[in-house]
Amino acid sequence: MAGERRTDAKLVESETTETDAAAGAAVGLSAVLFALAVAALFERVSLTGSLFGVGTVTLLGGLLTALGVAVVAFGVGSRLGYVETDPDRSVGLVAGLGAALPWVVVGGSAASQTLGLGTAVGVVAGVAAGGAAFALTVLPCEDLGSTLPLGCLLALTGLVFLSGVIGPEWVWELGWTQQAAITAEFLIPASTLFAALYGGWASAKAYGGFGARGRHMGAYVLVYLNALSIVAFLLILVAYVAVQGLPGLLNGAELGLGSGPQTTVLGASVALPVSVPFVMNGVALFNDFQGVLPAIVGTVWLVVGAVVLAVPLGVGAALFLTEYAERGRFTQVVEVATNGLWSTPSIVFGLFGFAFLVPRFGNGKSLLSGMITLGFMLLPLVVITSREAMLSVPDEYRDASAALGVSKWQTIRSVVLPAALPGVVTGVILGVGRIAGETAPILLTMAGGTFLPGSQTVDVLGSFQFTTAPPFVANPALMEATSALPYQLYALISAGVGASSNVGNADEFRWATALVLLVVVLSFYAIGIATRYYFRRRLRHT
Amino acid sequence: MSENTNPQTTTDPQTETATTNGDQPLTANSDQSLTANSDQSLTTTAGETVEQTRSEWTEYEFRGDAKMAVEDLDVHYGDDHALKGVSMEIPEQSVTALIGPSGCGKSTYLRCLNRMNDRVSSARIDGSVKLDGQEIYQDGVNLVELRKRVGMVFQSPNPFPKSIRENVAYGPQKHGDLDTGLLARLLNRSDAEERDELVERCLRDAALYEEVSDRLDDNALGLSGGQQQRLCIARCLSVDPEVILMDEPASALDPIATAKIEDLIDDLAEEYTVVIVTHNMQQAARISDQTAVFLTGGELVEYGDTDQVFEDPHSERVEDYITGKFG
Repeated sequence: MAGERRTDAKLVESETTETDAAAGAAVGLSAVLFALAVAALFERVSLTGSLFGVGTVTLLGGLLTALGVAVVAFGVGSRLGYVETDPDRSVGLVAGLGAALPWVVVGGSAASQTLGLGTAVGVVAGVAAGGAAFALTVLPCEDLGSTLPLGCLLALTGLVFLSGVIGPEWVWELGWTQQAAITAEFLIPASTLFAALYGGWASAKAYGGFGARGRHMGAYVLVYLNALSIVAFLLILVAYVAVQGLPGLLNGAELGLGSGPQTTVLGASVALPVSVPFVMNGVALFNDFQGVLPAIVGTVWLVVGAVVLAVPLGVGAALFLTEYAERGRFTQVVEVATNGLWSTPSIVFGLFGFAFLVPRFGNGKSLLSGMITLGFMLLPLVVITSREAMLSVPDEYRDASAALGVSKWQTIRSVVLPAALPGVVTGVILGVGRIAGETAPILLTMAGGTFLPGSQTVDVLGSFQFTTAPPFVANPALMEATSALPYQLYALISAGVGASSNVGNADEFRWATALVLLVVVLSFYAIGIATRYYFRRRLRHT
Repeated sequence: MSENTNPQTTTDPQTETATTNGDQPLTANSDQSLTANSDQSLTTTAGETVEQTRSEWTEYEFRGDAKMAVEDLDVHYGDDHALKGVSMEIPEQSVTALIGPSGCGKSTYLRCLNRMNDRVSSARIDGSVKLDGQEIYQDGVNLVELRKRVGMVFQSPNPFPKSIRENVAYGPQKHGDLDTGLLARLLNRSDAEERDELVERCLRDAALYEEVSDRLDDNALGLSGGQQQRLCIARCLSVDPEVILMDEPASALDPIATAKIEDLIDDLAEEYTVVIVTHNMQQAARISDQTAVFLTGGELVEYGDTDQVFEDPHSERVEDYITGKFG
């Protein structure tokens, strides 16, 4: 039995055949379709417009149809023996379910909506179409099963686009009590996206000649398309914010000697060679261009304060838990508590700050309470990641150090901590990414006005003062309410602040604020990555 | 030093089991055990001769002083009785080899000599270990001083992820014997020169200096396995120990690196007292002055001059083990 079914694959497949080339082209075609669909989803490609002289929807439909026909041709060709492949007996249940799902949707919606037969008939038709697709996938040999239902689906989708049944103007009013509709702008890119995934998978299997190698190819293409789409979403998001925010950010920007504001560098007063009013000004009545400098500085100080508070505490707690405390009930409880704290919603932390910290610092919102609140938010993640990092330091290091007669604390300081530092920094990076963008805690504990004049930019370093009474130092800047970028953005967008004030183009101002927030957070991230890289290098190649 | 590494015995051991000894369970307490007239039960593995351990087999007379004296040492890991009433004296400036099958307690014994077993929370140690006549299992023992005097080299090379120089200077620096910190440098009291001399001397003693002299600031993890192990020996020498414990120091190394380590041990024995655990009987026969054989169940069966143990062991079980009948 096993002998009969043994596949006789060639060991060396030297030359690329025309079939291979065609299958490779089909994989490439599905990648192109995938990219087009992503671009259309984010409105980088207009559905009503045209590409290469052809209407976008027509182009998508044509490509989909071609891909579908090609996929079916591979399957049938392999079955009839025109193409040399080594298919298995069946594709398997998972692939069957995967192929049935789109057919349920297509069959159901075609019967109930396009033909207008009602919901009950739609359900029956959907189940029937799905069942047929499932049977057609699972029952025949692998080459037919993995191509025929999917190829037909692709061709059908393409023909629907080509024939204009679903065109750029198409809308499906759902008829709910709420206003809800599925528009062509969403449906066409989304269905193209899925169809391209299916087509890519099927043609990759054909490229691999089905069987084990074909399955490997199919999985490979799926994984790659997924990874690419994630990177694409990320890039599109950043690019979108950048494109929208740049005009506001560069509003009134100048480059040239002496164009910037006066600052003091090493005791000498110099004018900066660049002037970007948006990040160098506050908001004032007589400013030519308004800016968000107080919010930027507020965000930076917030993060610095939270890190200064949380990192020593968190690393210390992790040290105690890993190196000193007996592993048992107590450490388990602490672990559960830290994990729970990390999952606690930020508004709860904010409320804690509002009810507990604010009354203790002069009963007004202050930078200090914001820092402490965010520090508490950061603390659990620092504890969790530091603990993991310290646990992963090999025990051999500790043994070697102990065998030299070095005390425990010296061992921790000289061996365990340096080896754990990259992990600790990773935790801080993740945590800072979260707290730098937090709005709710800041809203409750720190936020003052939305549009602060440049003169209210917090100057933490410059406002330390000596006093005659204990505690002999004071820092009024820490005790003042100020603004931060996420809060400012929230106020601008949600509360509608800004439309009536004198910021000029309010929309540009908002996008520019978002861009600056993104840049600030990414800068913290970059600093963190650089730090981690430095410590890793020190550990590996001195 | 013995040249006869693998004595061929012709006497047919009176094995109780005539069955084959193809499979050798690693664990103790297998099917055969009988209660002896002593207070301990004898535990053997399949293929072992059943016999009584006699106390005169472990009596070893030597000239000179005993560096370390162990008496009635018992170690329990939880319920597991890992070492049963071991007594032996280790002479000064010599190489003592501990051999025996896996799980027989030789590493446990070694770790008792500098109290590394204190780091295992489940371990319970009874008995007496004396270093130069001073009991090390008593209150008030300074573990830092003990481990400075009794250094240890581990089975797998475990250099710190630091530079070669920092690895060797680590111990003295942490003990405050060398100060090359920022403050010392600012006050012009830096011991950088002393440190470099120490590093060079230790690396030379560990026969590594020639190979690494031009890259002392490179990371130690970039060295090969054999070099790493010699670096660990150099690191151990840096705190100027009197006794060096080695736990299978060559088991992870290739033959050439092993040969280097063996030569090194030979040289070290002129100055230091070396105690080495090994699985390799040829190695024990080549490098050691006296050999202690631990057998299944955590007891010391025979201890004596290496030539005598390998050529004419008192115990038949030891003979079986040495000739490879089990273990």
